[in-house]
Amino acid sequence: MDCNGCEFHPELYYDGEFQIWVRRESDGTLTIGMTDLSQAIAGKILHLRVRRPGTKRPTGKPVATVESGKWAGPIPNLFDCVIVAGNQMALDNPALLNQDPYNAWVARVMPAYGTDAALASFLTGDSAREGYCARARREDIHCR
Amino acid sequence: MENNQYIADDGDKVVVIIMTSGPSSPQRCATPFYLGSLLAAMDAEVHVFFTMEGVRLMEKGVGEQLAAMEGGKRIIDFVRDAKRAGVKLHVCQPALPGYKIDENLDLIDEVDYISKASTLADLILSCDKVFSF
Repeated sequence: MDCNGCEFHPELYYDGEFQIWVRRESDGTLTIGMTDLSQAIAGKILHLRVRRPGTKRPTGKPVATVESGKWAGPIPNLFDCVIVAGNQMALDNPALLNQDPYNAWVARVMPAYGTDAALASFLTGDSAREGYCARARREDIHCR
Repeated sequence: MENNQYIADDGDKVVVIIMTSGPSSPQRCATPFYLGSLLAAMDAEVHVFFTMEGVRLMEKGVGEQLAAMEGGKRIIDFVRDAKRAGVKLHVCQPALPGYKIDENLDLIDEVDYISKASTLADLILSCDKVFSF
């Protein structure tokens, strides 16, 4: 299921602006990545840097930075967490973020107050799809 | 050399970017916003202070018509990226009359502060890093 050629995964969790996706892991961590919308907006990604593992990241403090030819900015963070790991494959080959954004995760984090609390404000399933597609249409974002 | 794929937690820094370039040198007008966005994403508190011809970038209609490279991304979009990243934008009040810019009518909504020269002086004296374009 996609919108304007932008891939969407209903099982994932999305922030209100659909900049990031989040996946629950069995060990209580959360995996964070860029959405297809985000990678399309960024354009060809040249560099990814993740906060050092073990670093505490309060709400609002980015977990990573991304640089492309026309955009530089944060991978936003919407809950208190500690960085567990960066995705070494994506760090070594940032183009994966463009090519396969739902497999090329950015960071794995441990939320400070559990996964339910961390994801309380996130969208998933049909309501997420509706918002995701609405943004793609509203801003005329095309991914493929 | 240390692996720079991971960002160290060095404590938050305050960075001031003095922007004097304007529409007469469009190739100089995107990088300050790009770098400011990146610094803000790395937890720096970033202030861009527009003075001299730089104030024209904060004038309505200018950034919408300007790109650093022919056919490239508009400067207004670089400005908005920087704002989203948390960069603070100051316009030098004493510079405005020379460019016939009315601070109440002609500035874009993205401007955070219409600042005096003494504000810039305070920023320079109190910040961690300062550089200019």
